[in-house]
Amino acid sequence: MSTLAAVFWREARLAWAGGGGAAGPAAFFLAAITLAPLAIGPAPELLAAAGPGLMGFAALLSVLQSAERLYGDDFSDGTLDLYALMPMGLPLLALAKTLGQGVATLWPLPLIALLGGLMYGVPLMSSLMLAVSLLAAVPALVLLSGFAGALAAGVKRSGLLIALIATPMMVPVLIFAAGAGRASFEGDERAAANLLLTLAVSLGTVALAPFGIAAAVRSRLG
Amino acid sequence: MLAMTATQPDLPDMTGFDPATLDVRGLALSRGEVRLFAGLDLSLAPGQALLLTGPNGTGKTTLLRALAGFVRPDTGQVSLGGAAVQDVLGWLGHSDGLKPNETLRMALRFWADMHGTSRRAILPLMRLLAIDHLIDRPAGQLSRGQQRRAGLARVALANRPLWLLDEPAGPLDGAGRDRLADLVAWHRARGGAVIAATHQTLDWPDAATLDLGARL
Repeated sequence: MSTLAAVFWREARLAWAGGGGAAGPAAFFLAAITLAPLAIGPAPELLAAAGPGLMGFAALLSVLQSAERLYGDDFSDGTLDLYALMPMGLPLLALAKTLGQGVATLWPLPLIALLGGLMYGVPLMSSLMLAVSLLAAVPALVLLSGFAGALAAGVKRSGLLIALIATPMMVPVLIFAAGAGRASFEGDERAAANLLLTLAVSLGTVALAPFGIAAAVRSRLG
Repeated sequence: MLAMTATQPDLPDMTGFDPATLDVRGLALSRGEVRLFAGLDLSLAPGQALLLTGPNGTGKTTLLRALAGFVRPDTGQVSLGGAAVQDVLGWLGHSDGLKPNETLRMALRFWADMHGTSRRAILPLMRLLAIDHLIDRPAGQLSRGQQRRAGLARVALANRPLWLLDEPAGPLDGAGRDRLADLVAWHRARGGAVIAATHQTLDWPDAATLDLGARL
């Protein structure tokens, strides 16, 4: 267990120290939600209605934006070889590594979603619901992009491949997370159900994705 | 060689490991569609060293990766006397497994923790490899040779009986090769075994040589 914590903190520390950590996804997210109103138009009721969906969508894209570094660097500097030789086994290690890096790089996303929701004129409670559901979605998003990143590790221009692999798998969690915020905004009682479904997808991903990542890493090392 | 190791003031004090034997029977390996070699037998007992030589492209790295279980052989078997690969191998590949922004202190502490080795072994090992003064430098600021030495320190920290080293002396200078020889002598004296792919002549005492180029 302590070795798992060691992997988690090392990955979080490395993501924090190298290449700006949370700055990349956060800047991308901020840019997306700042530019969207310029394209949609300034009508307040339109923005408030589109807000929750836009936040979910922009968050997904900003997770993808940082996915390339998740396994690509470890592949090229030989760290993946060493991780594959750890007695704890690759699935557990991949879980600790991916979540560690995810926490270090993606923690601002729910906060920005909360502020963004308010900025779009979404009521406070609905913005909070949106932020909480995004928080619940982060494990699923980061593990799915980790899976795609592991499949594409060591491939040139892996960003394209990662987007193609990860985007379809992220559809359910996007629908539920954005749906929670939208339902809350519309005063629909399905908001809580959507939030629980987001959590369910995240938990399922935590249980399954590490095995997929481990298999992908092994095939890339062979 | 004994005299050289005796001059080392403090050799790392680490808990012992169970010696491992390696036994390879009828191994055939390919890279892509190209068959590298077939029918390779080799065995290694505790304390022994084996140097893999041969021109580029003869399959030295692929053989090491097959022994580590990364590459699946076409035919043949690799046996480690019933032990799992994860409990036996110290691995140094083409790359050193260092992160450019991480200091050697943080990196080696991490790997010591991962392998359950005492952190007190870090400094003596770094002294043995003459990189102890670099302990607080990020790996990205080190020269290739210094990074290689740090990689070797990491292998030793794993405290595993069988070392697989891919070009361990590649970027090392003359003094570095002597340090490497000291490290390997220390490992073998503890009952460890080493297989190293190399283009340099490494004068390790009683090391066997397998020329993969001559097998073609």
